[in-house]
Amino acid sequence: MLLLQNARIASENSPVLVESDVLIVEGKIQDIGKSLTIPEGARVIDARGRVLMPAMFDAHVHFRAPGFENKETITTGSEAAINGGITGVVMMPNTRPALDSATSVATVLDNAKRKARIPVYTSGCVTKDRQGKELAEIEGMRTLGVKMLTDDGDTTSDPAVLLRAMQYATEFGMFFASHCEVPELAGPRALNEGVMSYRLGIKGSPACAEEIIIDRDIRLARAAGAHVHIQHVSSKLGMETIRWWKSRGDVKVTAEVAPHHLLFTDEHIGDYDTNYKMNPPLRTQADCDALLEGLIEGVFDLIATDHAPHTPFEKAQDFISAPNGITGLDTALVSLYHFFVEPGKFGWDLVVKRYSAEPRRLMGLPVPTIEVGQQAECVLFDTDAETTFTREFMKSKSQNTPFIDQTLKGRVDLVILGTEILLER
Amino acid sequence: MARKDLLDIASLHREEIEFLLDQSTSFKKLFTRSVKKIPALEGKSVLMLFYEASTRTHSSFEVAAKRLSAEVTNFDVDHSSITKGESVRETIETLQAMRTDYIVVRHGHSGLPGMIARQTTASVINAGDGAHEHPTQALLDAFTIKEKFPDPRGKKVLIIGDILHSRVARSTSTLLQKLGVEVAYLGPGSLVPKYGPTTIPRFTDYQAAMAWKPDIVYLLRVQMERQDVQFFPNVREYHRVYGITNARLAEIRDRGLYIMHPGPVNRGVELCDAVMDYERSLITNQVENGISIRMAVLDWLTPGGEFPKQESYIARQQASSTAILP
Repeated sequence: MLLLQNARIASENSPVLVESDVLIVEGKIQDIGKSLTIPEGARVIDARGRVLMPAMFDAHVHFRAPGFENKETITTGSEAAINGGITGVVMMPNTRPALDSATSVATVLDNAKRKARIPVYTSGCVTKDRQGKELAEIEGMRTLGVKMLTDDGDTTSDPAVLLRAMQYATEFGMFFASHCEVPELAGPRALNEGVMSYRLGIKGSPACAEEIIIDRDIRLARAAGAHVHIQHVSSKLGMETIRWWKSRGDVKVTAEVAPHHLLFTDEHIGDYDTNYKMNPPLRTQADCDALLEGLIEGVFDLIATDHAPHTPFEKAQDFISAPNGITGLDTALVSLYHFFVEPGKFGWDLVVKRYSAEPRRLMGLPVPTIEVGQQAECVLFDTDAETTFTREFMKSKSQNTPFIDQTLKGRVDLVILGTEILLER
Repeated sequence: MARKDLLDIASLHREEIEFLLDQSTSFKKLFTRSVKKIPALEGKSVLMLFYEASTRTHSSFEVAAKRLSAEVTNFDVDHSSITKGESVRETIETLQAMRTDYIVVRHGHSGLPGMIARQTTASVINAGDGAHEHPTQALLDAFTIKEKFPDPRGKKVLIIGDILHSRVARSTSTLLQKLGVEVAYLGPGSLVPKYGPTTIPRFTDYQAAMAWKPDIVYLLRVQMERQDVQFFPNVREYHRVYGITNARLAEIRDRGLYIMHPGPVNRGVELCDAVMDYERSLITNQVENGISIRMAVLDWLTPGGEFPKQESYIARQQASSTAILP
C-alpha cells in the first residue's frame, strides 16, 4: 500500500497538472483525492511539487541481444529504460541472428521474461536476414505477438518486395515500420549533406535520401491498404510529406521523432565527435524547428529514442569508422523536460500523449492513466531536482551519448509498475 | 603562440601564417648553401605515418626533417599489424609508447589526424586527411604565390576541378582568403557543391570564370580513386570542358596568368602537355617550396604537454574568426 501525497498529476488530455493524493493498493490505483486518510500500514511519500505521470513506453530500441551482448543486453537495456522512467519497449530486429522467424523471436521473448523487469516486446523483420529479398516468417512471428515488421537499420530496398509483404501481413493485423533511406544516395557516412559535411570533408547524406522513401513507403502502404509507421524522421520536408499524406486521410500512416533530432544539429558534430554520429543524421536548425512544430501539431504520433548502444571502443574510432547511433533511454525524459517542458515549448500533456499513450496504442496495448481502478504504471518526476548523467548513473551497457557528464534539470524519482517499485531515488 | 599540432588551416591565426611564411623564406635561403642542414631538431624523432600513397608530400617532409637534423622513421603501413586488423587507435598507443616527437600522418579518413593528436604527446602534422585538409600544401601554395605577388591582397585565384573531394581546395582557399586573396571555384556541377563556402563564387562555365579575371589558375588533380560513382562522363569531355587545352593555354599566355597544380598531374586531363613548359607555370616552384614550408612547420611546433581536448565547431569558429581579414 502506497500513498503519494500532493502529487501534481499529468494526463494526456489536459495541460494543467492537478494536485492530489493517490492511493495505490496491490498494484492498482484505489483512490485519488485531496487529503486522503492514511490507511493503516500504508507507506506515505510526500510528493509535493513533483509530477506524477503514466510511465513512458519506447517503441524503438536496440537491445543488441542476441549477437552483440558486448553493447547491450536485454537486462541492461531494460534497466536503462527504468532509469529513464520507461516501463515498456519494442526491440528492433537487427540482431544477429536477425529476428526473422518464430524461433528467433521466441528466444528473445523468453529471455525478456526471465531477464527484464519490464515488458519487452520485439518487432520482426520484413525480409529474411534483413536482406530485402525473401519474406521473413511473418505469420510464425505473429503467433508470438509480433505486430511491427521492419528491416530497421536498412530500408527494404525493393519496393515490390515491400508491397508484397504489406499485402500479405496486413491480413494478419500487422503494420510496417520504415527506416527511410535510399542507400545509393545516403552513402556510407551518417552526416547531413550540407555546409558541415563540406567543411569536414565527409560524404554527406542528403535529406532527400530520407524523404524519397518516406513518400515511397506511404504510397506503397496506400496501394496495399496497409498501416505504415515512419521511423525517426529527421528532415523538414520529411515532416511535411507525412503531414500532407495525413491530411489526405486515405492511408494509415503514423510517425515518430527522436529527442536527438529535436535537439541537435550537424554543427554539434564539431570536431568529429562520434557521439553525434547517427542515422538518419543530425540536420540543420531549420529541420529541428520543423520537427518540433510537427510534434506539437501531431504530425508525429510518438517520441521514440532509437536507443542505439555501441561500446566505447567502437565509438572512440575516427568519425568515418565509428558506428551510427546514440543511447537514449537513460536520458530521454529528463532531456525532454529540460529542453522543452521547462522552457514552455510544450506541456506535460504532450509528453504523456506522445511518449506514453500513443506508442502503446500503436502496439495495441492498454494505456495506463492516473485514474481510479487502473493498474499503477507511473513515474514520479521532480522538476526542481537535477540529474547529472555520469557513467555511474547510466544503466545502459554502452554510454555513447552527448549528454555524458552533463547536468540537466529534472529527475526521475520513482518508477512503479503494478506491485513493484522498479526504481526509487 | 606555441602549438602542439598542425591539423588544419581553419584554426590558424593570420599572425601564425605570416610567421610560417617568413620562416620559410629564411629556410629557403639555406638551399643555396653547399651544406643545407641545420641542427634545429637534433635528437628529435619524426615518424612518417602514411596510410595513403604519396610521393611528393612524403619525400618533402622527409627531406625537411632531415635538413633540420631530425631522425626520421618510416612506419611501413603495408607491413605493419594494420594488415592483421589492428585499429588505428591501437597503432597510436604503440607509437605513443615509443615517445616519438613528431608524427606526420596521411589517412583517407577525414579527422583522423585530430584523433591521433588527442591521444599522443607528439606533435601531429596533418599531411592530408580524406577530403578535409592538407595544411602544408596550403602554406606552400601561399608561399609560392607570395613569391610572385609579395602583397597578394586583392589578387584572384581560380581553382578548377574536383572541389568536392579536394582537401587541397579546402585548405588553400581558406588560407588564401585569410591573406586577402579572392578565390573562385570552377568545375562540373557534380563536383562543385552548392553548399560550399558562400564567400567563394562558383562557376560551371569556363568562359564565365575567365571573365572573373583571375591572376592565377589553380588546377586540381582529378582524383578518380576518390570517386565511388561517376561525376562526369569521361576524361576526354572533362579536358574539353574544364581542362587547359592548347587553345586555352594561348589565351592564358596572352593574359599572363600563372598556373599552379598540387601534383601529380594527369596530363591530357587537367592540362595539355605544353603547360609543363609554360614560363608562368609554378608547378615545380610549389614542389621546391614544400620543403622550406615543412621545415618551418616542424621547427615551429612544440611537442609535449597535455593532450588537446576535442573542440566544438562553434568554439573553433569563434577562436578563428579574429584571424579572418575584414
